[in-house]
Amino acid sequence: MSRHFDRRALLRRGAAGALALAAGPGLLAACSTDEPANGRGAAGSSPRSGGTLRAAFVGGGASETLDFFNGPSALDLVRARAWHGTLGNLDPTAPDGVRYGVLKGIDISDDLSAYTLHVRPGVRFTDGSELTAADILHSLGALAAKSTLPVYRLAAANFDLAHARAEGDLKVVLPTLRPIADGRLILCQGNFLVVKDGTKKFRTGMPSCGPFRLTEFTPGQGAAFTRYDDHYGHVPHLDGLELRSIADSTARAGALTGGEVDFAHDLSPVTARTLADNGKVELVPTKSPYLIGLSFQMNMGVKPFDDPRVREAFKLAVDREAMVKTVFHGNAEIGNDLPSMGFPDYADGIPRRAHDPGRARRLLKEAGADGMKVRLTTGPETPGMVEMATLYVEDLKKAGVQASLRELPAGQLYADFATYAALPLAGSYQMPIPALSTYQMSTAGGSPSAFGWKESATDALVAKARAESDPAEAKRLGTRAQRTRWEKGNQVLPVFKPNLNAQAKGVAGIRDDLFEQFPGFSRASLA
Amino acid sequence: MNVLAFAGRRLAGAAALLVLLSAAVFAATAVLPGDAVSAVAGVDASTGQRARVRAELGLDRPAAERYASWAAGALRGDLGRGFVGERPVTEVLATRLPNSLLLAGLTLAVTAPLALLLGLWTGLRAGGTADRLVSTGAQVLAAVPEFVVAALLTAVLAVWLGVLPRVSVVPLGGTPLDAPHALVLPVLTLGPVGLAVATRLLRVCVADAAAAPYCEAARLSGVRGVRLAVRHLLPNAAGPAVQALTLTTGALVGSSVVVENVFDYPGIGRELQLAVAARDVPMVQGIATALVAVMLAVLLLGDLCARLLGRREANGR
Repeated sequence: MSRHFDRRALLRRGAAGALALAAGPGLLAACSTDEPANGRGAAGSSPRSGGTLRAAFVGGGASETLDFFNGPSALDLVRARAWHGTLGNLDPTAPDGVRYGVLKGIDISDDLSAYTLHVRPGVRFTDGSELTAADILHSLGALAAKSTLPVYRLAAANFDLAHARAEGDLKVVLPTLRPIADGRLILCQGNFLVVKDGTKKFRTGMPSCGPFRLTEFTPGQGAAFTRYDDHYGHVPHLDGLELRSIADSTARAGALTGGEVDFAHDLSPVTARTLADNGKVELVPTKSPYLIGLSFQMNMGVKPFDDPRVREAFKLAVDREAMVKTVFHGNAEIGNDLPSMGFPDYADGIPRRAHDPGRARRLLKEAGADGMKVRLTTGPETPGMVEMATLYVEDLKKAGVQASLRELPAGQLYADFATYAALPLAGSYQMPIPALSTYQMSTAGGSPSAFGWKESATDALVAKARAESDPAEAKRLGTRAQRTRWEKGNQVLPVFKPNLNAQAKGVAGIRDDLFEQFPGFSRASLA
Repeated sequence: MNVLAFAGRRLAGAAALLVLLSAAVFAATAVLPGDAVSAVAGVDASTGQRARVRAELGLDRPAAERYASWAAGALRGDLGRGFVGERPVTEVLATRLPNSLLLAGLTLAVTAPLALLLGLWTGLRAGGTADRLVSTGAQVLAAVPEFVVAALLTAVLAVWLGVLPRVSVVPLGGTPLDAPHALVLPVLTLGPVGLAVATRLLRVCVADAAAAPYCEAARLSGVRGVRLAVRHLLPNAAGPAVQALTLTTGALVGSSVVVENVFDYPGIGRELQLAVAARDVPMVQGIATALVAVMLAVLLLGDLCARLLGRREANGR
């Protein structure tokens, strides 16, 4: 039942959200303009205005806070995005790969050492005051820089937030810590939100400039909003929005079929299956690249995983198709031992690894590791994880490994991170974040979550790819780095699974909010 | 005077027990693997960041020292702030505990009269067919896990008949009383547990009382039925019966953690479960201690009532 904290761990692990590096067309269905339009209705019809949409998420408990810079649950971020203005969202169809929010644009200096953020003039907070560079500086420098969430750490790891400065009312200059070409996509991934300069306490009545005004907040239960009619971009179709916290997957689905909510986030595969025949609701799983990678990490600091032949054998042993079929009823994608499938910087030219238990057996024998004993540790941190691990243990046995499974109770796997990082073989997962950012966040520099992978040459290659302003060259360098990971790496990543969301028939426009990792409601409408 | 001395003695005993149990809870959280650092700093925080967060949370101090400072604060009514979200523990208690007490109170209000009737009925027929049937039924009922009861009730009342909501969605900013229908399934789920436990306990009290010489005497002098029950049985069984009901409250507290999670009822049991998963020590400590205090208060009250009833019974005889 502690799915709350599964979600927390999930979000903590990679809330960096979706920063596409140079998104390809069709990844996100979206319009690239942000004038006050009607949004895009289904099949050309204009969406109905009015009504209050109610959506259910896994939130926290009574200790939930409105301070999204420190709020760890998915709901915290969804709530904050309804309420506060964003710097921008990813939009592959837009010229810069992003659709700007409270910004008019971002200029990058030729030497990639400084980013200039141009504030959109005339953006007003709900108290009538105009948004200026000072508000952006405060939000980024004072609040985001102090946050412990990975998403904000990613910005602090790339920009020198302490030396950011305002030039007049409508310009902010952000120096980079080292040359990067993809900084727009870090700042405009939909997570960076702005509040008024000087804000320290987050409370219900505080000024905001998002599409909705917060009218009610009950920690652990939910929040209610009304439309903000002076919103800078487009005014929402909905009159109101209610975000509810319902921890249990079955209970969320029950609230949806019972008509108590119109949208249910992140259901378990089994729960989602029970909804398939329900005429009143439809499943709307997230699409690539917003899929969660399910993986097994081999610890290179533990014998015999220091031997690349053993690692390859463990990758060849896994029956990926069986996992997709049995655990996810076909509603998942086959992975190729690399995270971030579907993102533009993902190395999709590498052939898919075969299922070859015979070769795995031979490789293990060659390495003197046939008959080796290993214990795979995992927990129910995300639906399907334990079931996958159960199948993997059987796969390993077929390759001649004496494998066993240790299933921890919910909330245990990451509770003691040092213990987790020292496991010989662990079942884990990756949030949808572009390949090179994932590498920078959790693998480079021998980070604890790298499980003993310490390759400064690959680190350097990734850094070089990120500092390359020519997209073709950046892709070439990035692919080389991933090829190394694919060949010698310590990650088996057989399956990518979607967030299984469901909504009442007739609800539309949730995906048009452009932040598919977590749904947004600025363009949503009811039937 | 005698009763006051008794109450004072029991109060002192309860206080001592509270201190002991709060220390035990603290010790239990200390031996759990892991700490709140992962929940606060993020699981992929660097070693340095984790050390900094651990120091900020005071987790680098010895457990005994942390307990002492917590206990000192608790004596002043300050239960500290949760690690996750930094909300004052007392505030969380103030918003959630009443919801749980409401749930338990409603369940008791529904089950106690029913248990009393069943207890009387079976107690007077101890060993008979009716008694065996009801007792076995109660035993089975007590053995069925709450989530099974919840699933059955949900399937019938929410899915099949569609007369009740599956989830206790309470209006934002409101209390469960603003959505009374949201209370029905949780109460119906908790009810059987309380009913089964209370019926079995009451049955024994009544059977004992019925076998006592004065009851025998009353029966021999021709007192029967309701008159026998009201005039002779109940006054004598009342003391033990009150204690039986207080014990039932204990069973309810345990079950409500499960029920609150199943129906997503905004009670303190759900908060406790969340806090344990996050290793949020101040929150766990505060909630567990508050629950222990509630239990001790109920038991104390039960003892006092039983004592008072017992005195009346002794004087009246």
